[in-house]
Amino acid sequence: MTGTPPDTTGQGTARPGGMALPSAQPEPENRGRLIALLGRFAPWLAAIGRLTRHQVRFTLLLIGAGWGTLRESLRPNSWRRPVKYEFRATLRQVVSGGFLSIVITATLAGLMVVSQAAYWLGYAGMAQMTGSILVSVLVREISPILVGIILMGRSGMLSLTEIGMMVLGGEVRGLQARGIDPFLALVMPRTFAFTLGGFTLGMIFAVVSLLMGFVVAHASGAITSSVWTFFFNVLAAMTTWDYLIIPLKFVLVGFFVGLGACISGLTVSSTDTMATIMPRGFARGIMLVLVVNILFMLDF
Amino acid sequence: MAANAPLLELRDAVPSFEESGLMPAPYNLRIMPGECAVIDCRDVERAALFADLCTGMISLTQGSIKFMGLDWSVLRDRQLNALRGRIGRISRHGGWLDMFGTHLNIMLPHLYHTSEPFDHVVLHATELGHKFGLPGLPISAPDRLSAADLARAACVRAFMGRPALLVLEDISDMLPEETVLPFLEMLTAARDRGCGVLWLVRSGAAWHDYRKAVNIHMRLLDEGLFSMRVV
Repeated sequence: MTGTPPDTTGQGTARPGGMALPSAQPEPENRGRLIALLGRFAPWLAAIGRLTRHQVRFTLLLIGAGWGTLRESLRPNSWRRPVKYEFRATLRQVVSGGFLSIVITATLAGLMVVSQAAYWLGYAGMAQMTGSILVSVLVREISPILVGIILMGRSGMLSLTEIGMMVLGGEVRGLQARGIDPFLALVMPRTFAFTLGGFTLGMIFAVVSLLMGFVVAHASGAITSSVWTFFFNVLAAMTTWDYLIIPLKFVLVGFFVGLGACISGLTVSSTDTMATIMPRGFARGIMLVLVVNILFMLDF
Repeated sequence: MAANAPLLELRDAVPSFEESGLMPAPYNLRIMPGECAVIDCRDVERAALFADLCTGMISLTQGSIKFMGLDWSVLRDRQLNALRGRIGRISRHGGWLDMFGTHLNIMLPHLYHTSEPFDHVVLHATELGHKFGLPGLPISAPDRLSAADLARAACVRAFMGRPALLVLEDISDMLPEETVLPFLEMLTAARDRGCGVLWLVRSGAAWHDYRKAVNIHMRLLDEGLFSMRVV
């Protein structure tokens, strides 16, 4: 055998031509430098990671819970009697609790937007554009945002507080101990009640705001046509997409406001108090309302 | 569930300390159908945690807990909930939802887990209410009831339906004197049907009248569960 014996000295092996292979000695130095560098930046990296995870957590929770809600709602076994009861009670609270606020807000919005649009478009000689302007500005863009905010303020915060307090008081654990799934008993029915409530209140908002706007504009002489002609013009200005998008916006705003409130309530920690639950829930709710509207604005 | 199989069996069950705060010691307990196990524990928090452990609400690091022959740790959510629906439980804290009336709180588990007609459920709950000294089903919110009425309502809720296991935390200080006898009668009737009983008590006075009918007597301490002599 004529093989070269392995170099065990750790000094490196001489190559023909006088070039030496890099020796093993500098490696620990490099490694040590790398570790020191990592040690210096590790707290920063950890802080960035913590912040990212914390920020993304709610979004991921929302996606998962949204999918879970839809999936569970398709099972007939999920709609048990207490679940139906909770759905009806929440729907009643959402619609009756928000009705007056919706009517007042819609009246004010109608007074401002419809009368101003009718006046200025008439002044500019573009009165025929009144319908399409009202549909795109008032019904499609402003209504879902205002309905979402009212829904959140009147009912979303209530759900958030109720569920949050139930978690902190151990009542949710009590439900689990009796074999009642809090997701099925609280989150799913409330989310669907908010969804249906959002659609109902949204339609009321759209009709009332247009009607009140017409009344004021008609009284001031900015609009001279009859109420039927006015509504006919508004409907004629709506495209096929509008018939789909407007109800969909109301439905999605309701869905996400309800789901966001319930999930925020269900995920409170033992260190949370009303002072921390409420502002967090409010900020999340506003963000969800705006995100739903902005997503639609980008696509259509 | 096989014949002659234990109804509830804790076999070297070591609870997760991080999750529960219970000492990670091996717990062993075996309750056969119709048996009554009394567990002495002065600390109500620890007693509630042990009740949670027996109902599969605390994960284990070792061992197993089986109820009706099924291991809590291998069941999925729906199965877990269905199985917990077979347990009648009296909790000392956190058992009432103030957003519902007490009548709904009482009937909620039964309405959730069964499809028995609503009228039958109401009738059954009302009858039980009469037995425990309630004039009917209280419809006001639980936070508006007196401690005695709430204890009566807790008994009604625990005995609703035909539970396979009763997990009873100690409410003897809230239960009125005249309700103790109906409570023990109901306990015996349930055991005659094959229902097991896990009764967590704080002192001997709570179960003194029932001493002769108890099969298992244990003490729950920080270090674990220890057998006591049944007198």
